[in-house]
Amino acid sequence: MKLFLMRVFPGVLLLLFNPLVLSSVAQQPGENVGVVHVIGLAGVKPKTKGNLKIEDGKLQFSASKTKADVEITSLQDVVTGNDSQRVFRGTIGTLTMFAPYGGGRFLSLFRTKLDTLTIQYRNSDGALHGAIFTMPVGKADTLKNLLLAQGAHTSIPMHSDSAISNPRPDESKEKKP
Amino acid sequence: MKRLIVAIAAFVLLLNAHASAAGAHAQSTQSAAKKASAIQVLMIQSDEIKLPPEFQISLYENLIQQLEKHGGFHVYRDGDRNAANSADLVVLHSTVRGFKKGSELQRQVTTVAGKTSIKVHCWFTDSSGATVLERDLDGKVLFLGGNLRATFDFAKKAAKLAHDNFAATQMSGS
Repeated sequence: MKLFLMRVFPGVLLLLFNPLVLSSVAQQPGENVGVVHVIGLAGVKPKTKGNLKIEDGKLQFSASKTKADVEITSLQDVVTGNDSQRVFRGTIGTLTMFAPYGGGRFLSLFRTKLDTLTIQYRNSDGALHGAIFTMPVGKADTLKNLLLAQGAHTSIPMHSDSAISNPRPDESKEKKP
Repeated sequence: MKRLIVAIAAFVLLLNAHASAAGAHAQSTQSAAKKASAIQVLMIQSDEIKLPPEFQISLYENLIQQLEKHGGFHVYRDGDRNAANSADLVVLHSTVRGFKKGSELQRQVTTVAGKTSIKVHCWFTDSSGATVLERDLDGKVLFLGGNLRATFDFAKKAAKLAHDNFAATQMSGS
């Protein structure tokens, strides 16, 4: 029994928490994460592809033509969520809509999951801003952890993020007056 | 027969008078909405409805973008200290009254199912805090686009409402 506790149990624990260890090793401050800016950052157009990284106490978004950064300490709320999108999107995605025999509809079934990161911050005048980013699955939680570690705030603790972004069907129903 | 004709004529006259009175009342409510040089958009509230944070932010940011796009007044964000210096400022308050998160997949596959809709109660207050205009607006996405597109639809309608009622220069078309 003692041998089990000393040798096997730590091994089991390591196996269980392996994904957490890997993700924390994979994502470090200063590392770029490929994201799509959905809306919100000043001076950046919606649906701009770029990279998000945490450096010098700032959350920095950089695309080919534009750059924007936000002081991490000014972040009032950081929330993650999840969504999905078509594999075939953009111009090609629109063209597939006209495919014969419902081909476009069939192609709509092929979807990729993605994470969303929503932030709220105030600028030097106290004006409230918000921004939404989408990114590959698993990246948002890691980014949120890094932001929280550097002084950002959140209204929703990590474990309940998914519950908020995916409310139960009865909760998402429209409320009748 | 003569009495019947007189009664009908009196009834029609009465209806007409009532309708014109109602019209005058509506016009006075409209004219109560004064012109403003600046508008401050407050963060969208969703106390009654559990709204995902990305929808809340998207509503707020789209609203600001659309108001800036239409022009006609300076747009201040929630909490902006500079708004206090503006003389004729109207404040836009919004509360979410209904939300149904649809499915983009269902919309694309079935065409008729998976609608996303948001109902928002908007009201404008002047610098004294008195309500000058209030309206229920909705945003929906029926076929093309992601769920967040419903927030864009709402923002367009809200910006048009604000512009039509408060901007010094009237907007042409929608």
